[in-house]
Amino acid sequence: MSEDVLFQLKHVSKGFVKGKEKISIFDDLNMSIERGDFVAIMGPSGSGKTTLLNMLGGVDQPTGGEIWFDGTRIDSLSESALTRWRAENIGFIFQFYNLMPMLNAQRNVELPLLLTKLSKAQRRKNVETALALVGLSDRAKHMSSEMSGGQQQRVAIARAIVSDPKLILCDEPTGDLDRGTADEILEMLQLLNRDHGKTIVMVTHDPAAAKYAKRTLHLDKGQFVQREIVA
Amino acid sequence: MNDLYLIYKNMTRKPLRLFLTCFAIFIAFLIFGAVTSLKTALNSSVALSADNRLVVFNRINFTQSLPIAYFEKVAAVEGVENVTHLNWFGGYFQEPSRQIVTLAVDPESYLRVYQEVVIPENLKQAWLNNRQGALVGEKLAQIYGWKVGDRIPISSNIFTHKDGGYTWEFEVSGIFKGDTEQYDTRQMLIHYKYFMETQTFGDDWIGWMALTTKDPSLNEKVAKTIDDNFANSQSETDTSTEKSFNKAFIEQIGNIGLIIFSVVFTAFFTILIVVGNTMALAVRERTGEIAVLKTLGFSSQRIFRMVLSESLLIALIGGLSGLAAAWLLVEGVKTFLARFLPNLILDSHIAVQALLYMLLLGLITGLLPAFNALRLNIVSAFNRQ
Amino acid sequence: MGSLIAQILSVTLMNLGSLRRRLWMSLAMVLASAVVVAILLAFLAMAKGFEETMRGAGSSQIAILMREGSSSELSSAILQDQVNLLSESAGIARSANGPLISPELYVIVDGIKKSTGTEANIPLRGLNKTGMAMRTSMRLVRGRMFTPGTNEMIVGEGVLREFSGFEIGKEVRFGKNLWTVVGVFSTGGNIFESELWADIKIIQSHYNRGSSYQSIRLQLDNDGGLGSIKETIAREPRLNLEAQSEREYFASQGKQLQYIATFGWVISAVMALGALAGALNTMYTSVADRAKEIATLRALGFSNFSAFCGTIAEAMVLAVAGGLLGSLAAYLFFDGLNTSTLGGSFTQVVFRFEMSPDLFLQGAILALAIGFISGFFPAWRAARMPVIVAFRHAA
Repeated sequence: MSEDVLFQLKHVSKGFVKGKEKISIFDDLNMSIERGDFVAIMGPSGSGKTTLLNMLGGVDQPTGGEIWFDGTRIDSLSESALTRWRAENIGFIFQFYNLMPMLNAQRNVELPLLLTKLSKAQRRKNVETALALVGLSDRAKHMSSEMSGGQQQRVAIARAIVSDPKLILCDEPTGDLDRGTADEILEMLQLLNRDHGKTIVMVTHDPAAAKYAKRTLHLDKGQFVQREIVA
Repeated sequence: MNDLYLIYKNMTRKPLRLFLTCFAIFIAFLIFGAVTSLKTALNSSVALSADNRLVVFNRINFTQSLPIAYFEKVAAVEGVENVTHLNWFGGYFQEPSRQIVTLAVDPESYLRVYQEVVIPENLKQAWLNNRQGALVGEKLAQIYGWKVGDRIPISSNIFTHKDGGYTWEFEVSGIFKGDTEQYDTRQMLIHYKYFMETQTFGDDWIGWMALTTKDPSLNEKVAKTIDDNFANSQSETDTSTEKSFNKAFIEQIGNIGLIIFSVVFTAFFTILIVVGNTMALAVRERTGEIAVLKTLGFSSQRIFRMVLSESLLIALIGGLSGLAAAWLLVEGVKTFLARFLPNLILDSHIAVQALLYMLLLGLITGLLPAFNALRLNIVSAFNRQ
Repeated sequence: MGSLIAQILSVTLMNLGSLRRRLWMSLAMVLASAVVVAILLAFLAMAKGFEETMRGAGSSQIAILMREGSSSELSSAILQDQVNLLSESAGIARSANGPLISPELYVIVDGIKKSTGTEANIPLRGLNKTGMAMRTSMRLVRGRMFTPGTNEMIVGEGVLREFSGFEIGKEVRFGKNLWTVVGVFSTGGNIFESELWADIKIIQSHYNRGSSYQSIRLQLDNDGGLGSIKETIAREPRLNLEAQSEREYFASQGKQLQYIATFGWVISAVMALGALAGALNTMYTSVADRAKEIATLRALGFSNFSAFCGTIAEAMVLAVAGGLLGSLAAYLFFDGLNTSTLGGSFTQVVFRFEMSPDLFLQGAILALAIGFISGFFPAWRAARMPVIVAFRHAA
């Protein structure tokens, strides 16, 4: 295994039982993601791309096969171990931002830092840096209800990077935004990947969004159907 | 920012709802505190009775009298430590509605049997030496502003004075305290001999007797000996512990009291159910947010603790303020009601009980949603969105 | 105008249709309203029952005389001379047998309460033929009248209901004396039914009362009769008595449980505040839950007044449902419930909870008030809901 491989899926299968039927989403799925990569995963609805993302994030677990992350096998970790692992390694960006409505931007960004042992001053510094990076330093005290969708998503990005995770997972990050705003967000992700070396995996159904990634994987009926296309 | 801040923010996200919820809890515990105090006050004479004190009444009913000869006979019964006799004077001050518990007693033996009566030695001697003297309880003296040396006219709604009229004049020889805060000192004691000589209703009868046994274990034997002694005489006796007599008297108020209190407590618990439902719902609404926190890496236990703390906090805020209001209320009406309910007090016992119910409310309303949060599957939580 | 009513109606129906989405909150509101109404009714029924029992006893044509300063028959004492003196007074109705005057004795005996199995006080009243004749509402339900000069007694229906051992033919021991129950009497549900009656001479001798009495009842000759009696008492210093009509006497005794009605209203009012808080929560939740529907309707052109009325109507329906439930529960649990408590003379008064229509009316008013208040403020919010909400994304 190359030193540069961050994520590796080996013969991963996933299925669930619905009534009497056994439904299979993946069967023998293999993939690897290297450090510094920016991968877009595309596919029609029901192709399993969100399930894949959930498994990468340690939110969902495969029924068979192995998932390796940075030299650790994560598919067999207990739930509490996975929770700790997520807090240390993964940043999440959701389609509907999922900010805490009762907290302002600054507090929302600070949220993941509650899981670290950083000092108060250090935490404030990290939050300021993250907000500056997404260009929202002047909105630190705003509540999510006072911000546009694009601004909310930028807060979500700041929240995803504030604890300096190794991997950022994005689930349709622009699905709820107009073209112009979507491009801003995607450019920001690209910048994080290019200038800050963040590894990013993004699920999307928008080809225009996928173009911002370094490469795109097409998922259909639980299989990658095309070879990787380098953007 | 820390977990406490998150809990606080969660709680206050809908200030109106928080206020209404706390207010309902406030009301519930206000009522609980006040009504329980009332109930305890009504029952307090039972709790305060001495273990080794017996009372001897006429078997027909406690309003019927006994011959004074019984006094010596009871004193001779084995196991009896001290015995005294009492007569109900039916006293009132100026207006028939201002009734005063006035007992005509044999002074020296009374003070031996009722050790709760605390009085300085010099005042005690003064009373023993003054046939017209009265020993007045502290609370009673406060109500009418009586002081040692005052001459007070006390009327009887039962007896007639030999000189005509129903009013006797007594001199306040001393003011006594109870050995505990709860001891009812709204009463006065007068000399039996003086009472007998000045009233017109025949001589040498007593209302009832009170005695102490050498040991509580002798109670039953002593009671039986006394009652057997007087069996088949003109006045048969009924001897029971003071505790059971007081209890029986309270029970005469009957199931009315029981009905009232059970109705009120049913209401108390219903309010808690209604409130608990709201609180549980408030957490259920946040399923999505809890899923996000979990995704971010907050451990299930930590979320469990946060949800539970929130319900506990709400229960305590509403409950403690309600209890405090009940305390203020009880303290406020205490002096006003002192004539009817001397022992109206919201004591630590009631407070602890209330606190227990608050914790229970917080735990029950918090546990279910907290448990759901603990087991929440992030994937299905997001799918529901 | 017609369209406004149609609007309100359709909004209301939609609100009620969506109740299932808010099942638990709605049930909580119903429960809250039910409890408050039930509590109020319970207290009122208790006070009402007691009042009826007391009120039925008093006649304005009968005067009751007791020793000055005595607040009840138990503590009063009257001598034979005084009875003789008084019977000459003007104002007393007379029959062929002489003045209608009844000196009575009132002693307390113990009976065993059925409900608790413990001893409680029952009044044993000694009276003569005149006294019996004066109580026009009294009739024997079973058995026969006691024979004067014997240890026979008749018992009130209330005593029979609440105490054990007073059935006809039973022998009852009070102290040394053995009594036989020979009859059961009714006085139409009033307080006399809580008593035992026997011959006055026998009671005087058994209880060492010589020829003394505790109260005098006398039939007044006309409405001015009481005045004449009072004049006689004022004139004659040996008559240290106080006269009042029986109605006044029992009215003052009946006041005793009036505090229960007051206590009931206070408790219910305070509880109602708590319930109101719960109900308001329910209704605010309802408005929040229906925000999008309301806004959509507004966008379609429905007036904000219809949104207001729809919410109020929902609150009223829930509160009234609770009120009905509470009334039903109170009726099932409390109506006709027999009980007894300590009355004015340390004796047991037996009475029934009485759930009369006017009590239900009071309960209904309370339920409607809860519904209206808990609906009003959320309805106000619903009415001012900005139409833009309809176009907002899922919250």
